[in-house]
Amino acid sequence: MSEVLSRRRRIALRVSGFVLDYLIALPVGCAAALVWANTFPESYYRFAHATAFLVNDVGIAFFFALITKEVAEATIPGGALHPWRRAALPVAAAVGSVVVSIACYLAFVHNAGEHMLEGGWVAACAIDIPGSYIIARLIFGRHPAVPFLLLLAISADAIGLACVAVLQPIGDAHVAIGLGLMAVAVGSAAVLRHRGVKNFWLYLLGPGTLSWCALFLGGVHPALALVPIVPFFPHGRHDRGLLVEPEPQAHDTLTLFERWWRLPVEGVLLLFGLVNAGVPLHGLETGMWAIPIAALGRPIGIVVAAGVAIAAGLHLPERVGWRELLVVGCTASIGLVFALFFASAVMPLGPLLLEMKMGALVTVAGGGLAFAAARLLRVGRFAR
Amino acid sequence: MDRKCATRLLTTLLLVISGWWSVTAQEFALPSAPNSVKFAAIGDNGTGDPPQYEIANQMTRFHAKFPFDRVIMLGDNIYGGQGPQDLVKKFSQPYKALLDMGVKFYASLGNHDDPVNSRYPLWNMEGQQYYSYSTKNVRFFALDSNKVDQKELAWLENALKSSQDEWKICYFHHPLYSDGGTHGPSVDVRVVFEPLFVTYGVNVVFSGHDHIYERLTPQKGIYYFVEGAGGQLRKGDTNRSATTAMAFDQDQSFMLVEIDGNQLSFQAISRTGTTVDSGTIQRQVRPAAPVARLRPPAR
Repeated sequence: MSEVLSRRRRIALRVSGFVLDYLIALPVGCAAALVWANTFPESYYRFAHATAFLVNDVGIAFFFALITKEVAEATIPGGALHPWRRAALPVAAAVGSVVVSIACYLAFVHNAGEHMLEGGWVAACAIDIPGSYIIARLIFGRHPAVPFLLLLAISADAIGLACVAVLQPIGDAHVAIGLGLMAVAVGSAAVLRHRGVKNFWLYLLGPGTLSWCALFLGGVHPALALVPIVPFFPHGRHDRGLLVEPEPQAHDTLTLFERWWRLPVEGVLLLFGLVNAGVPLHGLETGMWAIPIAALGRPIGIVVAAGVAIAAGLHLPERVGWRELLVVGCTASIGLVFALFFASAVMPLGPLLLEMKMGALVTVAGGGLAFAAARLLRVGRFAR
Repeated sequence: MDRKCATRLLTTLLLVISGWWSVTAQEFALPSAPNSVKFAAIGDNGTGDPPQYEIANQMTRFHAKFPFDRVIMLGDNIYGGQGPQDLVKKFSQPYKALLDMGVKFYASLGNHDDPVNSRYPLWNMEGQQYYSYSTKNVRFFALDSNKVDQKELAWLENALKSSQDEWKICYFHHPLYSDGGTHGPSVDVRVVFEPLFVTYGVNVVFSGHDHIYERLTPQKGIYYFVEGAGGQLRKGDTNRSATTAMAFDQDQSFMLVEIDGNQLSFQAISRTGTTVDSGTIQRQVRPAAPVARLRPPAR
């Protein structure tokens, strides 16, 4: 027993503080929201509607910035995305995951007669990066399946974010102004990088703010504002891996940015859960199952797409076989934060949004599904 | 008098009483004034099943006594398939007699409706998810409660503010107040709609979604009705509470409403033609009070 505990502690210590914060802040926020929304719904919805913009359009941008930081670091030597072709198979699997998930989603809402939900298909793409990572680490420990899953999740979410940005314009879009401002934002970030500026605040306050305004005015979700800016932050020479704690002596801009923003982002995640996870536990329509059904289709999409990619000449990572791939697919069925974000981005407030949010919360069960699949297939920790 | 004779007498008496009760129950409870605004309300009707047709037949029957010229539809107008054949089977066929008599239907959409059908000419939505129209001293606001964005709220505020009509009636699918056991109130929509209703003097609100009939006690001075049993029905699905003024959940139903001057009369009628609720409401005269309004996210 003590051996198991110490092993668990070691596993926990190897993941980044960002993931551990996520593990604490988000569930607390979600649980508080569920209790509040089901006891004093009127005051809850007043609070949620009043703070949604601040949290979902401003605060969560820093969460996406930390995720972008992981991706940016993954492109440097030692990173999972270095060289880029290493990501080819996870990207192919992500495409399969997205296609099958969306197909399952649309098929379900059509057959359930929930036609109004058809516009929310983007939420079917969502894979919760920190959530699925935690489950994958618990199942696989340190194993090539984990970075494979992370790359897959990042790719699927990137497709979803692109769909949100391009296909779901928000408000009255001033595209020309938005593009102009974005060009200035990216250009100024490039100038800062070229001049060797290491203070991340200068990147955030200048290019970051401009980027947020560019997206907001351009009709694109402004939560993505820091995604094009963070890659310009100076970074270290080597990457220790996706979502792995940086070395204590590391003082590059990306690492300093993560260290400073970890705590505020923990607060943002708590608020994100609080603002978005408050759904009535009673009275929702069958449409709430659309996102979980889509998530269930995800392992099929991943396995099929990976099969096609392998037939086309790509290779699975070492020690990753079909059984591992299927468990990775089950792990990727967790949508949580990303599904909540996509749902809020594409669906205005109302009962349909609540159904989608409930569906996003239900996908947490994907963790149990992944454990069951791993046990059944004798994969990861169950292989022994 | 022997026992047999007494039994016969008692049976006859019971039959007479029940016949009389049946006739009076089916009696028409509205004034039917010559120049009044007359309309019917149905919700959650588009099943294409026999009960929907039976309700439609009752509506036609009552139309002879109460010639309403419009029907407000409270959403879930078509269940299941939404194609042209479904529109015939679940709408134009059951209400054919009313349509032939020139009765106009003004729909709002429910969660089971396909938004594409907002272009269906017989629903008079003209492709809009929310719209407004008026007749005499009454203005109707058909709203979209499925997806409430800032655009809709801005439109609603503007439309309510600019309306000089004596009666303002809003209708949409999800009820702000309901004692329906399956769904209940949509509180998230209430917190954005209600302040506008109160500020700009909405008098009456009709919704569906819960498959029952319910009249609620006035909430912040506004009368709320749930009529979601125009085709669907959830028997015994009312959780009566302090807000329940009257509820009927034993059969399908529809409503007839008449507005004459400052008086609104209503009658809820079951599938068998029995009046299950009726009454009169005096128009509320409220000074436009500033109420803290809540806006959804700026997007």
